[in-house]
Amino acid sequence: MDTQSYMPVPPGVGMEENFLSLDDILLSHERLPCKTDTSFPKLGFLEKTSESHDIPENTKMEMPLWMAKGLYERKRHVISVDLPKVYREGWRTVFGADANMVDLHKMGPYYYGLGSQILHFENAENPEIAQSILQTFIGRFRRTMDSSQNAYNEDMSALLERLDCLERALFRSGQNGLNAFQLWERGRASQLTASSLVTNYRKRKITELHS
Amino acid sequence: MDPSEVEFLAEKEMVKIIPNFSLDKIYLIGGDLGPFNPGLTVEVPVWLALNLKQRQKCRIVPPEWMDADKLEEIREQERREDTFTPIPSLHYMELTKLLLNHAADNIPRADEIRTLVKDIWDTRIAKLRLSADSFINQQEAHARLDNLTLMEINTTRTFLLDSLNCMYKLRSNLQPGSGSGKAHDY
Amino acid sequence: MFCEKAVELVRELHRMTDGQLPAFNEDGIRQVLEEMKALYEQNQSDVNEAKTEGKSELIPTIKFRHCCLLRNQRCIAGYLYDRLLRIRALRWEYGSVLPTTIRFHMCAEELEWFNQYKKSLATYMRSLGGDEGLDITQDIKPPKSLYIEVRCLKDHGEFEIDDGTVILLKKNSQHFLPRWKCEQLIRQGVLEHVIS
Repeated sequence: MDTQSYMPVPPGVGMEENFLSLDDILLSHERLPCKTDTSFPKLGFLEKTSESHDIPENTKMEMPLWMAKGLYERKRHVISVDLPKVYREGWRTVFGADANMVDLHKMGPYYYGLGSQILHFENAENPEIAQSILQTFIGRFRRTMDSSQNAYNEDMSALLERLDCLERALFRSGQNGLNAFQLWERGRASQLTASSLVTNYRKRKITELHS
Repeated sequence: MDPSEVEFLAEKEMVKIIPNFSLDKIYLIGGDLGPFNPGLTVEVPVWLALNLKQRQKCRIVPPEWMDADKLEEIREQERREDTFTPIPSLHYMELTKLLLNHAADNIPRADEIRTLVKDIWDTRIAKLRLSADSFINQQEAHARLDNLTLMEINTTRTFLLDSLNCMYKLRSNLQPGSGSGKAHDY
Repeated sequence: MFCEKAVELVRELHRMTDGQLPAFNEDGIRQVLEEMKALYEQNQSDVNEAKTEGKSELIPTIKFRHCCLLRNQRCIAGYLYDRLLRIRALRWEYGSVLPTTIRFHMCAEELEWFNQYKKSLATYMRSLGGDEGLDITQDIKPPKSLYIEVRCLKDHGEFEIDDGTVILLKKNSQHFLPRWKCEQLIRQGVLEHVIS
């Protein structure tokens, strides 16, 4: 494995997003169920179902996280944000029973990231949500770790399929460590290799020719 | 760190050789080496020992611990105990690979040694994983890495650090009031 | 909804996880900037209306558009910045001369940035290690020997080594060369490092 010279901006830690992180930009594009607590004049065209000129008060609509964060105010009623299903009590009980059973990719894929972000919006259940996502991570950690240490040379898609984005990133860093070590063990660590950028460009050129 | 860099560091370890040539003391930035006399044991860094060996200028004396009986004892102890047992060389993995690949003819029962060291490594890595899991489970804040070697730490370093970052991220959610900060990321 | 184009830009880049540089999406950027211009103008006129006619009910709408403006700005900043990180990596992986296929993927400003980066790096490397300077893009891995065995993967023409000898790098020919002379060619995929 070659040392990678391209290191993307990492996602933020804690509840803060990292402004320039592509991961965080895509995370904040996830949609949340919202309700307007005031009317938005002239923006009716954004609501495909309505013919009206405005978005009236009490309209239920899905909003991306970034917009909900931008419009939300604790003191004034502009919008209210509803909990997505996965974070509600029903699902929390399921996660509590056996977090390993859940397909977090289907439920997410930003289960942890979005879960941390919705804590920005006032909700009596917030402490339980925070606790629940932490316990889910802990409960699934062993599986994430073991699969990342064992899957060398195997088809990883089945393993990866059920992991949330955060777990996938962890899986990948585990794999990188393992691959580098196994390469060394086979006496290939000191071999100079073509840059992965170069080989991938070539591959792409060939597929372009064929398509 | 790439494992090849860990190996590079291991090459600074000293090892005994028996040269078959004569040479006065040589003066290097890293220290003086020699003098070399045919048949007389002298201590040199592994990188030089391997270089001389490849040019058939010396015989390498395996380090004391690189002995099938001793390693078998270590393996049994490692399997018996839950914690990491002290290992005789902090570069046991790298030195085994380097010396066995280049000077197997100077090391008695080389194949056995290769298997034993691999067994010890596997046992220790399994322990490392087990303790990483309980570390996360009990939400510990720090860990003691006593008796772990650089190569062992190096293979799991990024994974462990990334996991701890995730933990930190999710635990900071529990702090009441951490959400009262302005939520202005668009 | 607003800002869909901007996220599309980010997604396009995010899909290429291994650091490849896709073609600069000039059209996408233009569309985002147009949307921003429209949002800004609508807000300007609504701000005036709110002020002169006391229409405070417009404020949520103004805020709504303002969020979208900032979101577009963030997406574009993220897009451009991540591209620079990829372009910087190219200097380390390919060396200072980029193949034309990659240059075609960069906009004029990015080419200019690459040249500036190249120059700063060269100035820095000249300042290291005495009169000769030090090429820090070499020996990324600890070298095992001064000379290495290499095989040519494609015809590369004549190649001069330290002592002035010229050798012909012909496809499938094998050579024993100073490591520091071939490291870059290996990274570029011209030579292959042969380990026995």
